[in-house]
Amino acid sequence: MKKLTTMVLTAALATPFAAIAEDSSDPITIPIHNWSSQIVMSNVVGQMFEEMGNNVEFVTTDSQAVYESVRLGDVALELEVWEGAFGASFREALSKGGLHDAGDHDAVTREDWWYPAWTKESCPGLPSWEALNACAEVFATAETGSNGMYLDGPVDWLKHGQERVAALDMNFTVVNAGSAAALWAHIGAAEAEKKPIVVFNWTPNFAEAVWPGEFVEFPAWEDGCDTDPTKGPNKEALFDCGNPSTGYLKKAAWDGMEDKWPAAYCVLTKLSFTNPQIAEMAKLVDTDELEPEEAAEEWLAANRAVVEPWMSACAS
Amino acid sequence: MNPVISAKNVWKLFGPDPESYLKSMTAGHSFDDIRADGYIAGVKDVSLDVSKGEMLVIMGLSGSGKSTLVRCFSRLHDITGGKIEVDGQDIMGLKEVELIELRRSKMGMVFQSFGLLPHRTVLQNVAFPLEMRGQDKHSTRDRAMEVVKLVGLEGREDYFPRELSGGQQQRVGIARSLAIEPDIWFLDEPFSALDPLIRREMQDEFLRLQAMLGKTIVFITHDFDEALRLADRIAIMKDGAVEQIDTPDKIVLNPATDYVAKFTEEVDKARVVHASVLVEDGSMGKGEPVAADATILSLARRLINDAADVIPVQMPDGNVKGMPRQAALDILLGEAK
Amino acid sequence: MTIVSDANLAVPEGGTPAMAVRRKVLIGLFGFAALLTVLRPWLPEALIRLPEAMLLPWSDWLDVGFAWVQNDLGLIHVTREIASWLGFLIDAAANVLYGKSRWPNFEAMPWSVVAGCLAVLGYWLGGWKLALLAGGTMVWTALMGQWKWAMETMSVIVVAAPVGFAVGLLIGILAWRSARFEKAMRPVLLVLQTLPFYSYLLPAVIFFKVGPTAASVATIAYSMPPMILMTIVGLKKVPPEVVEAGKMAGCSRWQMLRSVYIPSARTEILVGLNQVIMLALAMVVLTAFIGMPGLGAKLLAMMNSFKLGRSFEIGVTIVLLAVTLDRLSKAWVVKQPEHFEKGTPWWQRHILLLIGVATFVVFMVLAQVIPILNEIGRRQSLSMGSEIDVAIKGFLNLSWVKETTGFIRWFFNLWILIPTERALLYVPTAAVIAVVTGFCYALGGRRPALIGVLFFSIVAGFGWWDRAMITLHSTLTAVILAMVFGMPLAVWAARRETWSARMIFVCDTAQTFPSFIYLLPAIMLFGITPFTVILSILIYTMVPVIRYTIEGLRGVPPELTEAADMSGATRWQKLWNVQLPLAMPTIAVGLNQALIFAFFMVIIAAFIGTRDLGQEMQRTLAGTQLGKNFTLGFSVVFMALTFDIAINAWAEKRRRILGLA
Ligand SMILES: Nc1ncnc2c1ncn2[C@@H]1O[C@H](COP(=O)(O)OP(=O)(O)OP(=O)(O)O)[C@@H](O)[C@H]1O
Ligand SMILES: [Mg+2]
Repeated sequence: MKKLTTMVLTAALATPFAAIAEDSSDPITIPIHNWSSQIVMSNVVGQMFEEMGNNVEFVTTDSQAVYESVRLGDVALELEVWEGAFGASFREALSKGGLHDAGDHDAVTREDWWYPAWTKESCPGLPSWEALNACAEVFATAETGSNGMYLDGPVDWLKHGQERVAALDMNFTVVNAGSAAALWAHIGAAEAEKKPIVVFNWTPNFAEAVWPGEFVEFPAWEDGCDTDPTKGPNKEALFDCGNPSTGYLKKAAWDGMEDKWPAAYCVLTKLSFTNPQIAEMAKLVDTDELEPEEAAEEWLAANRAVVEPWMSACAS
Repeated sequence: MNPVISAKNVWKLFGPDPESYLKSMTAGHSFDDIRADGYIAGVKDVSLDVSKGEMLVIMGLSGSGKSTLVRCFSRLHDITGGKIEVDGQDIMGLKEVELIELRRSKMGMVFQSFGLLPHRTVLQNVAFPLEMRGQDKHSTRDRAMEVVKLVGLEGREDYFPRELSGGQQQRVGIARSLAIEPDIWFLDEPFSALDPLIRREMQDEFLRLQAMLGKTIVFITHDFDEALRLADRIAIMKDGAVEQIDTPDKIVLNPATDYVAKFTEEVDKARVVHASVLVEDGSMGKGEPVAADATILSLARRLINDAADVIPVQMPDGNVKGMPRQAALDILLGEAK
Repeated sequence: MTIVSDANLAVPEGGTPAMAVRRKVLIGLFGFAALLTVLRPWLPEALIRLPEAMLLPWSDWLDVGFAWVQNDLGLIHVTREIASWLGFLIDAAANVLYGKSRWPNFEAMPWSVVAGCLAVLGYWLGGWKLALLAGGTMVWTALMGQWKWAMETMSVIVVAAPVGFAVGLLIGILAWRSARFEKAMRPVLLVLQTLPFYSYLLPAVIFFKVGPTAASVATIAYSMPPMILMTIVGLKKVPPEVVEAGKMAGCSRWQMLRSVYIPSARTEILVGLNQVIMLALAMVVLTAFIGMPGLGAKLLAMMNSFKLGRSFEIGVTIVLLAVTLDRLSKAWVVKQPEHFEKGTPWWQRHILLLIGVATFVVFMVLAQVIPILNEIGRRQSLSMGSEIDVAIKGFLNLSWVKETTGFIRWFFNLWILIPTERALLYVPTAAVIAVVTGFCYALGGRRPALIGVLFFSIVAGFGWWDRAMITLHSTLTAVILAMVFGMPLAVWAARRETWSARMIFVCDTAQTFPSFIYLLPAIMLFGITPFTVILSILIYTMVPVIRYTIEGLRGVPPELTEAADMSGATRWQKLWNVQLPLAMPTIAVGLNQALIFAFFMVIIAAFIGTRDLGQEMQRTLAGTQLGKNFTLGFSVVFMALTFDIAINAWAEKRRRILGLA
């Protein structure tokens, strides 16, 4: 009997609020990967959700397989969809259904051939790609013979270093690093002797702060350079341009998120970070050695003005 | 009287497909023929009966099939051919539950290599069969303590088998089989690891139990003296077959084969053969009759002093019969053929 | 058919007829391979590599299959149900260990309480040394500011290990009861152990939900096989007389299993448990890709922001945890129940339990008063990450370090690895298959040879031949290098009992050492080259080679070595003519283990960067191409199975000949 009354009561009390649609009390699961900016950003957003009264949980996942999990609703969202690295997985998942695009960040991303500052001493013509090609043997290693070595990103990031070398007829051998860590190790090894190297890199990224450097300037990106051979300087080959220097950085959301956590979803669609903000988040962990949770707290405290409008816009 | 265990043409072959092999095998295949075909005859065409209250001792060289035969009796081995009845029941026809019941209520066994459960203490090992029967904790413990005392392991009840000497372990095995007081007892070299003093005590204990409670015992040993001390009958095995089964004196006096004769060669026959075995029909002889169960050795003085050809023997059925003195003297002097 | 490869077994001049046939077959196979290779420039393309047109669309078929299993069969509902149960257990453990807000909603346990209680447990199991190890590991973890991560990791392990144990035990019992089941089981186990981790990743995530549940399922799948095998071994080893004693006591089947078999096989079963724990910890880093929280995930994050020092500290913690759990579980295996004199009072019999409870209460109270005993924050921790960073980088920059490693890099890459790899890629597919077949035939006879042909043809048919050859090249060279360096070490260590024990201890520890830790320094020294790849798996191949060689040599009956001594053999003669031939079957098992490990671990090469199967599998993760992923994964499995079957057949036969079986 008592149970029934309580039920009726709760129902009666709940009705007026139901109109505004409360967020479910189930935890919102946010995936984190293994690079700092994403971890801190996830924590920042998680803490915002918590402030709004949601339960939040984090789960570490692979950054490619995560889209399958978003699709299935095992995690609610993904905060950093890099055009270059994860565009393919994201589009694949989009076509299968279950997740959707939740808008872009202000930040633009650039992913391309890059060299640390000291390299310029051995190859002064940089950042032009022709100059790079001219001093290819400066970048040679025992294993590549007279060709220069270019260390490309992991294959699952679907870079096209090999194709570009062929299309532009460069004297380089492309080696794929297996992970971001391998890239850093390679740069770190060159650092002490100031050995000239050219590697795949991207921005925003903590490495900018540790190792100042520049991107190589390839023939500018034209739309269709990856699908239409006539685009770019070589009329017979694909990938004969540099990558777009303003790639997107998206957010993705599970289709069920909007119904289950409408307020949180609203914030997700509103929020947008800029390059300096993301760099700051990464720096707090990478340089200042904070834990991601602490870094997120600190960042939030310093940037209340940035996040406040998003949260208040979704409060009612 | 019905026999407790009755075996008829029992075969136990080891090998890939013993049943069909046995069916297809022509009669008269020898042990070696069978082996050439890739099979081992653990038990080869054995027929024997054990009657209630009897102690049958099985002897034979190592590998002659003694343990295998006993395992067939307790159906630890499924036999390949023939028939074994225990208390009139064909044990190959028993269902699993019936077999379990039979073992729980009637059978006990002491294993050649003890077969102690390594993770249980002495007391827990002894209590094991009682536990399996579902006996209540209290009486189980009391009974287990009782037999542990009986085999002289008091104070060691909390030890683990690995902490005991070989002889002590064997006594645990004995105690375990004593605990449930089975009607039928299979003892596979139960005293092999015991020192002579304890061995004698144990033998006495078994003799006492047998006499008092009428237990049926099948006993394996390599020690002929032990066999003589205990046996009502002795079965001698070779290559899976029983060469001869008879009372001790008959075996000693009339070995059926050379193999059996080899076994009895070293035995001091005068201590084994009883007067009653040597009696012959005809002349009864003169003088005071000697007891039928007197050994020749115990009659030595009389045999030497008495000059008569025939010495009277008081047979158990009340008659007096005559024993040729020469035959007895031959045995006494170790010249019997 | 017998193999005669040493002088121990006398053979008639010219050999038996069977041997003549054998020799002909081998000459035929190897000759065929040599011919094809020599003629390669003139061969039509189709004979060099299987033409595209002949490749079957395995990937598409598999994709259809997966879609059917996932959507139409509804398997996903079953697995998700299992996952939710596992999730519940893991959450509960997580609550107890670090206060995750889940049932039963306890407060986070202060680290000092765990450290204290573990120390008491260690004392009970193995005296002061173990108490120090267990307590010390916990103190280290807390002081380094890694407590929460470690507990996150443990929250999955404490569920995955017992479940792996229980399921393994059950399957082991079933396999022991039914020979047919066991036969069907064995290849499945091998597949579980050799299927590259990248193939576990997507199915685990899809069927068991990304996060600790998927991680625990992957951990269970990988750590269970040894448990199953040990259970079977243990149950088969129960002495027949013990079994018969049980039967004569009138045990029912259940009583037999519970009171006779399982307790008698205790040692083997607990060794299985120990293996489960060790393998579970070895998986901590790899499972981080599918949601294993804690140390592994942190290690990867640290590596990706190039923090050598802190990733090193985390690595040390993982090793310490593994060693602690290993020692504790091993001590538990050998610990036999003790008995007390009659009349010992209750408190004296349970003194350590009482001390344990007291420790718990005392630290609980202390932690309320002294916050540092409750939790050590990041800022209070003694982590020396940046200092170690500097030290490591400084060391790598010493000129002699650079020169030596530079020489090694030059020598191995340019003179051994790259040429052999090129050569392997040059050889036509059919020739490789012929050589593998010949190898299997020489080792195991007809059946392994047929399996070799079949499996390698399947690999060729999958269409990733070049990549498969690079993978094969890495594993084989890693095993060969392990033999070259490991065997002499093992032979040396086997001479003394104490050296052997120490060596095996080192092996045990090394096995849990996540090679991720030295991956970065290795890349810095040796670049992204084949040598670094080999180096990263070398540890996993060295361990079994050393360990089984020592065991094999020490297992040679002393009468035999004494006999050799008495015949005046020198140490070398004794080694060559007596010890090595007799130890060979055991060493072969070690080699086999090494190959299996190498095939599984070569996936790590993908983190460094190679052009092998692992790299292509990495690519399939982008775009979730399950079908392609599995054709790649099974290319590895089929190669591993071929070697496994051939080597085992040889070892088995050899044992029979030597009368060791
Ligand atoms: N389970 C079995 N499988 C195959 N052969 C067996 C088996 N058990 C016994 N045998 C063989 O049967 C023969 C008889 O063995 P059994 O154990 O009965 O000998 P035994 O007379 O008890 O010898 P011992 O005096 O040494 O105990 C032996 O040749 C033995 O190898
Ligand atoms: Mg025997």
